[in-house]
Amino acid sequence: MSFRDFGYWLKDFWADFRKEKSGLVGIAIIAIAILVVIFEPLCLPWEETNSKWRSISYWQDNSPSAPPVWTNWFRSKKAAETARLTKGKREMVELDGGVKMVSETFTYDFQADEAPLDLIFHCTGTGENVNVSFEVTRPDGQTIELAQRLEQGLQAADVRLSAENDGRDAAFTFLKGVETEANMSTLSNESLRATHIIFNTARSGMSRDFKPLKGKYIFTAKSMLLDPETDKIDKPFVVVTGSVSGILGTDNMKRDIFSGLVAGLKWALLIGLLTSIVSVLVGVVYGVVSAYYGGKVDSVMQFIFQIFNSMPVLPILIVLSAIFKPTIVTLILVMVIFFWTGPVMTVRSMAMQIREETYIEAARALGASNSRIIWKHMVPILIPYSFADMALSVPSAIVYESSVSLLGLGDASIVSWGQILHEAMEGSAILNGIWWWIIPPGLLIAILGMAFAFLGFAMDKILNPKLRTR
Amino acid sequence: MYKWFAVKRIFKGIVMYALLIFIFSILFNSVNETTQKAQIEEQVRMESQRLKGTKAADIQRFQRERRESLYKLYRFDRPLWERIVLRTVNILTFNFGKSTIMKSQTGERDVLTIIGEAIPRTLLLFLVAAVFEIGIGIVVGLKKAQHPGGHMDRTTSMITMILYGMPTWWVAMLFIMLFVYQLKWFPSGGLHTVPPPTGAAYGWDMVYHMILPLFTLIIIGFWGVSYMIRNLVLGTMQEDFIMAARARGIPENRVLFGHTLRTAAPPIVTMALLSLLGAISGAIIFEGIFSWPGLGNLYWVAVQQNDIPVLMADLSISTGLYQAGLVILDLIYGFLDPRVKVGGKA
Repeated sequence: MSFRDFGYWLKDFWADFRKEKSGLVGIAIIAIAILVVIFEPLCLPWEETNSKWRSISYWQDNSPSAPPVWTNWFRSKKAAETARLTKGKREMVELDGGVKMVSETFTYDFQADEAPLDLIFHCTGTGENVNVSFEVTRPDGQTIELAQRLEQGLQAADVRLSAENDGRDAAFTFLKGVETEANMSTLSNESLRATHIIFNTARSGMSRDFKPLKGKYIFTAKSMLLDPETDKIDKPFVVVTGSVSGILGTDNMKRDIFSGLVAGLKWALLIGLLTSIVSVLVGVVYGVVSAYYGGKVDSVMQFIFQIFNSMPVLPILIVLSAIFKPTIVTLILVMVIFFWTGPVMTVRSMAMQIREETYIEAARALGASNSRIIWKHMVPILIPYSFADMALSVPSAIVYESSVSLLGLGDASIVSWGQILHEAMEGSAILNGIWWWIIPPGLLIAILGMAFAFLGFAMDKILNPKLRTR
Repeated sequence: MYKWFAVKRIFKGIVMYALLIFIFSILFNSVNETTQKAQIEEQVRMESQRLKGTKAADIQRFQRERRESLYKLYRFDRPLWERIVLRTVNILTFNFGKSTIMKSQTGERDVLTIIGEAIPRTLLLFLVAAVFEIGIGIVVGLKKAQHPGGHMDRTTSMITMILYGMPTWWVAMLFIMLFVYQLKWFPSGGLHTVPPPTGAAYGWDMVYHMILPLFTLIIIGFWGVSYMIRNLVLGTMQEDFIMAARARGIPENRVLFGHTLRTAAPPIVTMALLSLLGAISGAIIFEGIFSWPGLGNLYWVAVQQNDIPVLMADLSISTGLYQAGLVILDLIYGFLDPRVKVGGKA
């Protein structure tokens, strides 16, 4: 079968295939998945998800186990969304003696009914003496000087000022100026969040309940550059940590689940496609060789086939992973070792018929070698029939990898959907009802599996017309 | 002769099982030996603790001698291939040794006891589920085959495809979240409440714990079975003898259950049992979610506690059960379809 023949075949196939609606749906889903993989950097809200998934500091500004942002639609009291303010307004004032004062202002429009969980300022500082102060100007005109920090000998290091850790004292001082003595005395320092004061309407009794002060907040970070030549303050940004976060919320390690799922998609596709394509090709060649030579070769090959066929795959896969701790590539290889048996029997019986065809006899009479007959005349005919097998074994490969990962035996250098579910199990997401951590990964596995099932069943209907509904 | 066919098939199954165990012994030899050596070390240490008031040099000598004799006992002085063969024989004779951490319900550390407790639970859950799955599958499958391309056939086929790649254990997680923690209808898992009730209440308690896992298995499982039965039955329905039966005026239900189902029975049984075997080997994850203390859950615990002897024994027993399933499948097939026996003799 030459390339042109294959083209004709494809054209015929497409003419049939386009009548199968479910098959088209399957192809569409797979195409979307591939597009997402190609444009992954554009789809990832957290760009460094792939490399920093297990880094604690990368995710530290998120809130743990926060529901998705859109759950706000179903709430009467809107929760604050996690926001990242990166576009500040920079001003630089030269003071006496060559000292420079840098200030960066961010505006934040607060419209939620509940206070955010934290308010964090970040920047990258360089210099012998780096001092940073952070203050909030509220819509009512009052200013709270939240925190200051003096760091020494920084080499492009991260400076983090958080209202919850560094600004509690300042917030309580502000509270003292407004709140009555009686209320202050009953208040313990631990029971109130700093953000509850910052975003609350100033009045007596404000420590008791939260009445949001909506409007524009101005966050100002100031830094004195003692030696403007070497001292630097780069990449300043402010994070308002809300109690709802991201498209699909966060897990108990504060990681953005949507980012994890997008990063896991390429692994799911890779595992599914590579495993199924390689194993089905191996199976086809194996079946053809076994049928072509026949006799003793066939018996031995059938025996080996039976050995593989009588192994329970998942238990062996799990024990192998538990003991040898495979990387993702080795895991795929191991799966190929067990998956290739799938198409062997059908291919062998078909190849046995083809072997008796006259054109094979003719080829042999012309002096074609065995390998030429197998590779040139038999394998190419049978491979199209195995396309359905390929598509149909993709879901099981994905599910098997997820199962291994669910037990905590996955490759720790990647993010996969099974691993996210494993962490959900570990973090008792089921018990705590953190549905946004459990439903999306499994649903994606199911949808991807469904897409390949649609494709596979549609192909099967066309390639094996016996099963057509009569 | 069915007898010879059966004997031959069983013998072949045993040979295959022995071969697989031999392969496992080679694959996992080093980890098995490391575990065994660690166990010997622990035993030596325990024994030397009893020798209080002895001189340090004596203790060391005792430890050395004891270690040597134990190494000899476990054949560590013999060549590699001999150790592998010995391990294969040990596993084939169910001589699994002691676990490193895990204990059976009665507190024993004998691996065979731990596994022995788990086997009936797994079989109970999955056999009951299989009976329901196949039962519902046959009814739905026949209905589908009666009107191929009809409304019901198309919708159920669609559902089959939608569920095709859905992990059963994920559905189990969702059901636990919904039925256990939200609606509080069922217990979260396990075999029975702790402490277990006695008498008739014990049976009811166990059924109560089984309902949710069973429901999950069946609701996900029967679609595939019915789709497969539909395809098999559809082939038979086109045969002339069905047309003849209909022409004779035999009631449609008898045509369906008597003529069609009987003829299509051998492949149906094969496929149904194969899917059951697949389900049992997929049970590892499923049982873990429901903490149903069967063979599958044992994998979870053994992996988490890194108990190699239990893991190995669990693997060989599951492989054995799988093998037995394949043999039983062929025996039933041979019984239902007499033509196979001729092939079996050749």
